[in-house]
Amino acid sequence: MGGRAGIYLCSCGNNISDNIDFDNLTSYLSSLEDVAYVKTYNLFCSEEGKNFLYNDILAEKPERIVIAACSPKEHEKTFRDIIKKAGINPYLFQMVNIREQVSWATEDKTDATEKAKAYIRAAIKRVKLHEPLEVHKINCNTDVLVIGAGPAGIETALLMARANRKVYLVEKSPCIGGKVARYEDVFPKMECASCMLEPKMDEILHNDNIELFVNSEVLDIIGYLGNFTVKIKKNATYVDKEKCMGCGACYEVCPVNVKNEYDYNLSERKAIYVPYTGALPNVPVIDKEHCIRMHPANDICKEAFEMGLITKEEYDLYRSETCDLCGKACMFEAINYEDKDEIIEKSAGGIVIATGFELFDPSQIKELGYGKIPEIYTSLEFERVLSQTGPTSGKLLMKNGKEPESVAIIHCIGSRNKKYQEYCSGICCLYALKFTKLIKKHSPSTFVCHIYTDWCVPGKDNQEFLNLVISECNPEIIRTSLPLNILISQKGSKICLKYNDLTGDNKEINIDMVVLCPAIKSSEKNKMLSLMTGVSIDKDGFFAESHTKLAPVSSNIEGICIAGCAQGPKDIQGSIAQGAASAGQLLSILVPGRELELEPIIAVIDENSCSGCMTCVGLCPYKAITFDKIKKVSCVNPALCKGCGTCVAACPSGSAKSMHFTTPQIFAEIEEVLK
Amino acid sequence: MPKPKVAFYWCASCGGCEEAVVDLAEDILKVVEAVEFVLWPVAMDFKIKDIESINDGEIAVSFINGAIRTSEQEHIAKLLRRKSQLIVAFGSCAHLGGTPGLANFTDRKKIFDWVYLKAPSVINPEGTIPLQKTTTIHGELTLPEFYNSVFTVDQFIETDYYLPGCAPPPDLIIKAIEAILYRNLPEKGTVLAPDKALCDSCNRRDSKPEKSVIKEIKRVHEVLIDPEKCFLDQGIICLGPATRDGCGQRCINANMPCRGCFGPTSRVQDQGAKFLSALASIIDINNEEEIKKIIDSIADPAGIFYYYALPASMLRRRI
Repeated sequence: MGGRAGIYLCSCGNNISDNIDFDNLTSYLSSLEDVAYVKTYNLFCSEEGKNFLYNDILAEKPERIVIAACSPKEHEKTFRDIIKKAGINPYLFQMVNIREQVSWATEDKTDATEKAKAYIRAAIKRVKLHEPLEVHKINCNTDVLVIGAGPAGIETALLMARANRKVYLVEKSPCIGGKVARYEDVFPKMECASCMLEPKMDEILHNDNIELFVNSEVLDIIGYLGNFTVKIKKNATYVDKEKCMGCGACYEVCPVNVKNEYDYNLSERKAIYVPYTGALPNVPVIDKEHCIRMHPANDICKEAFEMGLITKEEYDLYRSETCDLCGKACMFEAINYEDKDEIIEKSAGGIVIATGFELFDPSQIKELGYGKIPEIYTSLEFERVLSQTGPTSGKLLMKNGKEPESVAIIHCIGSRNKKYQEYCSGICCLYALKFTKLIKKHSPSTFVCHIYTDWCVPGKDNQEFLNLVISECNPEIIRTSLPLNILISQKGSKICLKYNDLTGDNKEINIDMVVLCPAIKSSEKNKMLSLMTGVSIDKDGFFAESHTKLAPVSSNIEGICIAGCAQGPKDIQGSIAQGAASAGQLLSILVPGRELELEPIIAVIDENSCSGCMTCVGLCPYKAITFDKIKKVSCVNPALCKGCGTCVAACPSGSAKSMHFTTPQIFAEIEEVLK
Repeated sequence: MPKPKVAFYWCASCGGCEEAVVDLAEDILKVVEAVEFVLWPVAMDFKIKDIESINDGEIAVSFINGAIRTSEQEHIAKLLRRKSQLIVAFGSCAHLGGTPGLANFTDRKKIFDWVYLKAPSVINPEGTIPLQKTTTIHGELTLPEFYNSVFTVDQFIETDYYLPGCAPPPDLIIKAIEAILYRNLPEKGTVLAPDKALCDSCNRRDSKPEKSVIKEIKRVHEVLIDPEKCFLDQGIICLGPATRDGCGQRCINANMPCRGCFGPTSRVQDQGAKFLSALASIIDINNEEEIKKIIDSIADPAGIFYYYALPASMLRRRI
């Protein structure tokens, strides 16, 4: 085990020496067996201090080094670099925090001096057991996988592509732009959403560095920063995008009508369809669940006929495997009924998760009547009602085709409430104001009321927007303590809203149309993606940032960033800012030609002593541990391990070891402190 | 050349370790042929003075089984240390404290109160309890001191090797004796058994899924145990992952989970704490109420986790 240590005491411009007796400390430490020498300096972190330290280490050539100064968070790296430059392995060094933990924390000077002695003694014992560690380097791939082609994902993809990085952009739906592309206008400047996004979406489609996978999903991700391998499932669309001109002849002839989920079932589409007018890329897809040619029921039908369960006439009536109306209608031979799902493997150095959000389902609160009363809409449904590409072609109409005379907008549905979502989604008040403006634009005489608790409109321009809408549109503002407690029922042709106002009085109002503002929720699919990538999700199911303030787009997995509503509820500019931040993060880590340094303070599992009990395998938050089925031992991937020590603590046979934090090192330290 | 002298001694033990020696069957004859027994209270009549009269260091090896609980046991252990070239702590009790070591969860007073006064089978109207010195009309009678704690052998004397197990299996005993006779010994302080955990040789290991998670803990009498499946995966506490290999899976083959008699591997200091940490890691519950429920479902947790190794653990005893 290692030799004697050179001790350096920093007085930190009297910050430390004022409250610790340095003479006493020096003479005590000098008397210890494992100490080679003790030296004091004022401010080792100054240029002079650094030079002194460097030259002194060169001259003394200590076997081990202990520096007692400020917090290691402040200068451990500074000192490691100097020690390395002076030719000593920087891990044969231990830093003791005698400023924050001793001088500033312990009032009495004698107590503080004794405490400093104990801490430094512990470091001397510990550093004796230190092993020299080496930083290893690996090559990295600079391509990027972006999951989700909403505003955040689009932003990342464009910025990365402009920096000449290859981008694989995977989107589960047939078109890009996310939910925003289906809005009419956006707050606070009432810009046209699709016009705003279109240049960006166009660039996505035409940038050679971007490979777009629509109608696709990520099946598996393995690997680590700089070296991810990704499996993408490209679902068959049955339309060749190279041949298709987007003329629409195919869906005009399709005999199948189904509810259009992209209009939240407020309209119908065909089995071959583009989700909405103007959707990009403008290439239809065949929905094989509903296409009568593709439908698996054809096989059942055939079987039933062969078994004699149905007659020939019935069989001919039901079976439709021969339907090729769209194929015939296409003048460009773009329809390919033989298209198959494909699994494509790609390599990427970094990943951005930008999978967006879902809405809280208001039918969970029965009193609201959503799902039963036809004229109650969620905000996303209402966006479609208002949109020119939506079910009413932008006319504000009820399901009976009439214009509503009155609309109530109810805030905070499932938000700011412990039973559902405790957080405020942050955007509902603003889009509710936008709705007011759009309703009034359609029909200035329509009565609009807001039922709300608090206005939440932080940020640039937003208060001004609120003031403007209220003064211009003059909506009725009804404040209640809990919008969730509203009782909604159908009363003849009207909808009756019963609520308590702030004084507790029972009130009632009759309305034609109700718009609910449900909370923005995390997607259920986040769990799967979390399992696949190891990226943690928070208590609300959103992907967790690695630090709320300091690292809002980094995840716990190095090389995987999170952006947009996948990370938490936010507005469009917030999503785009995070998309851009994610691109910036990855651009700064993944530089062509640069190697990645691997942190040497990681866990190792000794394959000669591991019993293969697999306790550790499921625990690693970084997916760094795999089980070698041939050797029957667990292995740590050094590129993935972050040295958190979870496996080390759990390993029941002591075969997992945390480098630089070994059990003997920690016990030596504890024993000395307690002596 | 005279035969090497060998001593067997028992301290706080059940006699099972003595049985283990007899269990060597015909191999014991080879041992008897090769060595001279100078002390073996269970089989032959020796007196302490016989040992005292031997020269220091004359005994080649003393096998001490049982934990140390009385002053007499301490005295003889120290005497044997002086007389012997090698001391082997034989069996779980000598090695780790063993099941007698569970007494460290209580203390001398409570033990005496129960055993001599309060246990339902006791009739002791005068409330007599053992004393170190008792004066009778025939003179003074003495008893060894009954210590407040149970100790491992190496907590009193320097111990060269350890033969683990309750009791040590014949193959390990034979191997150890051969190694001593032929001076083919590993580093001092070694436990003479493999240094991996029991899972390594467990034939149920392959039945365990990679990410095993427990939602419920069951006791062996509460379920029909699948003889092919990993116990932990069935929710039955098995100390195998935290226990040294080498027992030949005697319990596992009898469809009973490991209780940890071989003690921890060389890399672990506290077997109970280590197992607890591992078990907590594979329990798949995150809310406090459920956590409390599953903890409460472990009957006698301290007793289960420290079945054999409380005196050797960092805790050593209840304070």
